[in-house]
Amino acid sequence: MRLFIEQLLNGIAMGSIYALVTLGLALVYGIMRILHVAHAAVFTIGAYAGLFLFQLTGSLIVAFLGSMACCALLGVMIERFVYFPLMKYPPYVPLIGSIAVMLSIEEVCRLVAGPYILTFPAKLPFPDVYLGGIQISSTLIAVYSITAAVLLVLWYITTHTELGLAMRATSQDISISGAMGINSHVIITLTFVMGSAIAAIAGMLVGIYYNQVYPTMGTVPAYKTLALIVVGGLGSVPGAVIASMLLGTAETLLIGYANIPLPRDALAFIAMIGVLMWRSEGLLGSSR
Amino acid sequence: MSSYVITIGTIIVIQAIAVCGLNVIVGYAGQISLGHAAFFGIGAYSAAILTTKAGFSFWTALPLVIGMSGFIGLLLGLPSIRVREDFLAITTIGINFIVEAVFRYVQFFGGALGIGGIPRIVLFGIKLKGITFFLLCLGFLIVVLFICWWFTRSWASLACYAIREEETAASTMGISPVRFKLLAFVIGTAMAGLGGSLYAHYMQFISAGDFSFPVSVAFLSMLVLGGMGTLWGPVVGTLILGVLPEVFRPLVDYRIFFYTLLLLLMIRFQPGGILGEGSVVRRILAPILKGGRA
Amino acid sequence: MIQPLLSTKGVSKCFGGLKAVDGVDFDVFPGEILGILGPNGAGKTVLFNLISGIYQPTAGKVYFHNDRIDGLPPHLVARKGIGRTFQIVRPFATLTVLQNLLVARGITRYGHLSKVWGSWGSQSEIKAAMEVLEKVGLTELAHRKAGLLPLGNLRRLEIARALVVGHTLLLLDESFSGLRHEEILHLEALIQKIRGDGRTVILIEHNMRVAMGLCERIVVLDHGQKIAEGPPSIIQQNEQVIEAYLGRKGITYAA
Repeated sequence: MRLFIEQLLNGIAMGSIYALVTLGLALVYGIMRILHVAHAAVFTIGAYAGLFLFQLTGSLIVAFLGSMACCALLGVMIERFVYFPLMKYPPYVPLIGSIAVMLSIEEVCRLVAGPYILTFPAKLPFPDVYLGGIQISSTLIAVYSITAAVLLVLWYITTHTELGLAMRATSQDISISGAMGINSHVIITLTFVMGSAIAAIAGMLVGIYYNQVYPTMGTVPAYKTLALIVVGGLGSVPGAVIASMLLGTAETLLIGYANIPLPRDALAFIAMIGVLMWRSEGLLGSSR
Repeated sequence: MSSYVITIGTIIVIQAIAVCGLNVIVGYAGQISLGHAAFFGIGAYSAAILTTKAGFSFWTALPLVIGMSGFIGLLLGLPSIRVREDFLAITTIGINFIVEAVFRYVQFFGGALGIGGIPRIVLFGIKLKGITFFLLCLGFLIVVLFICWWFTRSWASLACYAIREEETAASTMGISPVRFKLLAFVIGTAMAGLGGSLYAHYMQFISAGDFSFPVSVAFLSMLVLGGMGTLWGPVVGTLILGVLPEVFRPLVDYRIFFYTLLLLLMIRFQPGGILGEGSVVRRILAPILKGGRA
Repeated sequence: MIQPLLSTKGVSKCFGGLKAVDGVDFDVFPGEILGILGPNGAGKTVLFNLISGIYQPTAGKVYFHNDRIDGLPPHLVARKGIGRTFQIVRPFATLTVLQNLLVARGITRYGHLSKVWGSWGSQSEIKAAMEVLEKVGLTELAHRKAGLLPLGNLRRLEIARALVVGHTLLLLDESFSGLRHEEILHLEALIQKIRGDGRTVILIEHNMRVAMGLCERIVVLDHGQKIAEGPPSIIQQNEQVIEAYLGRKGITYAA
């Protein structure tokens, strides 16, 4: 039972991290209808930038804020220089562009920081917690609380602010929102800023949680998160979060605890095909 | 010719066969596929198993291998094609991951160890290797190109083009989108199976990693680079992306970076590919081609 | 009594809670030109989509030659002999005008996998296709890419695609909209010619003058329901129709 609870806690942490990465993908898909594979490279850059700033200043706060700014800039650059000019082509064109961006960024990481696994020796400013004999490490608490905070802020922005309203209008129909006086390019840019900053947080959390930062850390998330946004319903942010949580927990429990020899990275896609057969629009997607 | 050149040439020709198949699916019928390596792998694994475990020769196994790849293409295409366009890209990625996982985790397929001891191809009593094997592959590529050319002249291709351009309008002209998308899928995956079979007999040892998702990305990049929907695009794209890493070899560490950067610049500034509509090469060649025809 | 070529019986289509088409009955008789009129959002295009199989009706039936065709997918409806055009033109943009037409002419082959392997470029096929292009006045543009044509030519191309052998009923969805005056005259003559070939035409039209001039009978839709049916002279006097139109838009007499 104790092992089960420990695995469950780990699974939820895994799911939280998936959720933070998948969020950005769902936001971008919702607004631009582009499969933003390079989002996972933004996530990798987030981990590296955070690690670098942490080593430089010794402050986690500076590392987090700096890494978020860095990734926001990178995200906007990808949107401006790659996606926006390719919007007029069929969807596979920006998709291949996105894959090329991701591979290029991975290579830059490898060339600049070396092909090895770096450690992220951050000490969190709060202790481990013991609950009924179960240890909840400070990194787990950090993952939970930061994810919860991000989700809350995002929920507030999308439901209670004019920016959120404009985002929803733009994701409904870019041309109509333009007629309503919304500058859709500003909204698209802000979406990339938000999604990329959240990816930076996710990258740093993964770095600290596993104590590992390496060039290809984004490869598996890149494609797994695609499956997750499909399961959640393309473009549905709550759906993406729920799907991520479920997958993180299922992966950890099925493979780590029940010891079922399932290929971990294929599980997301098996789930995806299952969901597609049952509900072709995804868990929370709207049928169009 | 040095054996180094022959090795690279053989791999390029084998990949070109698979990319021609991808061209039928993506270029002619407009159905994005990011899982083509899975079908390349299905061809390779069925050839490997039939020749190492069931005692078939390459030639007796070939129709079965091609049939099997096409049939699995049909089975996996059926659910994929019914989903929306954006889903198709992701579903085909999923197919690639799942097929690779099956090869890796199921003992029948050799598990993590892969399958070794695949025999060389024997033709007229001669074991083919080096230049002779290269020529055999080239022969198959010519056959595949001929089939593609023949396909583009047929009513079936016209139906595929119509679906690619405007599915709703096509369906109001008596064209069943599902039927013709599946047709393209079957032809394309069968060609991938042929390529995979040649690959298995060339390498003589295969493992799941040879057919992973990055291989699918490479196939699609070759097609995009060459110009999708054109007859020669797959060959040109495969040739360039096959030769470039060798040309970049002196750059050592920076080699892959330049390679990915080139792909990015290509798709950003010439998304139609080298031989595509309105490309720089087309514009330069246009007067020559026209002159030739007149 | 003459058998109707096409008839709808209580055909309805809901999107969410919205009834786009609500229990519409009408008949089309062989050889006539029937106009479907109504203000924006009256459900005219949805009705066409229900007939041609792009949408499945929520309720009701559609008969063609006394066969039920509701529930059939578009490609099977087309093979029964119904051709259509689209209000927002849908050319096969990277194909040439001639190829666009050949796609449509393949309709007799697409149903049998054994028949699709021949070449579409044979002399006889091209000659037959060129004859249709001549009829709609696109001969000179035959080898242009369809995506590069101006709207007027695209509308004619769409009609040409619907004019294949065996199509006894044509659904023309606002073929006149966006056209210049002389183009409209040209198209009116073309539609008369098509009817002269023994085909039946249903056309959705916004331009009252055109509809009144071309159609023998008119069905008026408003809010998804049929509010009037009859010859143009009677429709023009119908108070409900005048209200439906004038209430919001005003009748467009301008050509």
